[in-house]
Amino acid sequence: MSMQAALPVALIPGNSFIHKVNPITKIVWVIGYIVLAFSTQNIYILYGMALFAFLLAPLAGVTKPLLKGALILVPIGSSLLALQIIAPAVEQPWTPVASLGGFTIYGDGLYYGLVLLGRIVASLLIALVMVMTTHPSDLFTSLAKLKMPYTLNFMLAMTLQLIPVFQREVGIIMSAQKSRGMKGSGFAAVLPSFVPVFVGAIERVQQLSISLESRGFGSDGMKTSFRQVRSRPSDWIIGIVGAAIFIGLSIISIMKGLWSLAHVIVFPGTFVLWLFIIAAATFAGVIIVTLIYAFKK
Amino acid sequence: MSDPIIRFDNVTFGYSGTEVHALESISLEIQPGEYVAILGLNGAGKTTLGLCVNGVIPIMLGGNLEGTVTVDGLNVGDYPVREMAKIVGMVFDNPEFQMSQMSAGEEVALGLENAGIPYEEMKRIIPETLALVGLAGFEERSPLGLSGGQQQRLAIAAVLAMNPKILIMDEPTSNLDPIGKQEVFDMAAKLNRENGMTVLVIEHEVEVMAKYADRVIVMDGGRIVMNGTPQEIFGQVDALAELKLRVPESAEVASILKSRGMWNGPIPITTEPAIAAVNELLGAKS
Ligand SMILES: Nc1ncnc2c1ncn2[C@@H]1O[C@H](COP(=O)(O)OP(=O)(O)OP(=O)(O)O)[C@@H](O)[C@H]1O
Ligand SMILES: [Mg+2]
Repeated sequence: MSMQAALPVALIPGNSFIHKVNPITKIVWVIGYIVLAFSTQNIYILYGMALFAFLLAPLAGVTKPLLKGALILVPIGSSLLALQIIAPAVEQPWTPVASLGGFTIYGDGLYYGLVLLGRIVASLLIALVMVMTTHPSDLFTSLAKLKMPYTLNFMLAMTLQLIPVFQREVGIIMSAQKSRGMKGSGFAAVLPSFVPVFVGAIERVQQLSISLESRGFGSDGMKTSFRQVRSRPSDWIIGIVGAAIFIGLSIISIMKGLWSLAHVIVFPGTFVLWLFIIAAATFAGVIIVTLIYAFKK
Repeated sequence: MSDPIIRFDNVTFGYSGTEVHALESISLEIQPGEYVAILGLNGAGKTTLGLCVNGVIPIMLGGNLEGTVTVDGLNVGDYPVREMAKIVGMVFDNPEFQMSQMSAGEEVALGLENAGIPYEEMKRIIPETLALVGLAGFEERSPLGLSGGQQQRLAIAAVLAMNPKILIMDEPTSNLDPIGKQEVFDMAAKLNRENGMTVLVIEHEVEVMAKYADRVIVMDGGRIVMNGTPQEIFGQVDALAELKLRVPESAEVASILKSRGMWNGPIPITTEPAIAAVNELLGAKS
């Protein structure tokens, strides 16, 4: 079983320009994205960032897995928009633009919903592109270079490594319990297998730490490193240019009172109404499909 | 004779939280360059004995330890396990629990990185060591994606790369096919002969031990009950049977012949002398 099969999000091996960018440069970009996304309410900036991140995917050859990873945005996005349209998380007074049954539909709710969603979409997409193009070991080697405490770094790396192991173990124990006649499906079936998996995890971690110390592993870190992470001039340029753009736009945004265009962009009432119906229906659809799937299993 | 590289001086040990002693009054000397096999039933204390050599007992696994263990002149217990790692390499019995890295290459690199081996040397040592255990070209493979036997080979490589003076292997070939087993023991024999590496193997397969070991130690209930050359140990078929332990098949057959008065020579414990013995018997008949 490989990492790729077990983890929904993992490195997609490749040789693209983006794969070769230094992990620290990528971290600068991800942090820059998040900082800017949360210091602006300008939806042009937010969706521009999302679009840019999305356009990196074909360059790195990770479009398909990126879309797969971004599927999580469907329930998040639809519920977020539907909720914001009927109950905006902004201060009153709200501008009603239409009504549907007992619900009043608000235009500023839609704008703020799009801001919240844009932040999530932009940050998630750039993070996915980074994870899918960076070898975890290179990432951890780089973090170690940034003086991230070695043991913490190692624990992070280990956790990543252990996720597929535990997934597999839950599977094995569940089928063992089924073969012993235990019935049930869904959460009720998974629950009893947590105990043996948990006990197994403790034993595994103890044995692993014995094995590691027996190979000279200690809290003072590696003295040399097998993985060589290069930083080329282009890595510096991309990192510095990125940082400048993100910091610049963040400062401008904050000076402009988060640069909200809620009163500039006016959505037509019927448009908001239809969007609400579509979002609510999509979210309901997701829930129904999930329930059907869970019961069938 | 030179100073022993491993010395147990009246060692008794019980894991914390247990009543019984896992080791009982163990006194033992192993000389540098010896190839020693340890034999015993489940729970006899073999793994515990190995853990006392690299310092996991008493440093990491606590309990009640009496007596002293000296390894390469150092009093075990005075040094952290990671210090002892420079002298003692230990391969544990569960290969999957020894995998911690994203790739086989990094798994082998781990010990080297801790020892401060320069990158250029690692680049040479890692493929060499992987090839030595039959995993040439496996550098980029995920350790968790390997078969049980391949994981055992990788666990051995991860320890061998550090070039320890003492190599302890705890049931290192339980997942390996017959040819794989032979390869591992041939490799250990080569390191033993050519580099003078002291080898301690915990192993259930008596044929393998009879062929490779200089000395066989039999444990039972935490004690060393027999200690001698393979010839001395496996010749005592009845004594081993009493301990519920097998002997090599050739020794078993020979001892039956002996009890019926059909064979008077030494008990053959490996295949070649057994064949010679059979030829001698047949020659005498015709
Ligand atoms: N971590 C532990 N905590 C408590 N008791 C233990 C621990 N490990 C082993 N023991 C006990 O110590 C005794 C010796 O165990 P040990 O693992 O050394 O046996 P072994 O000869 O290696 O057996 P096997 O062939 O099954 O590997 C057993 O009675 C065992 O139950
Ligand atoms: Mg054991």
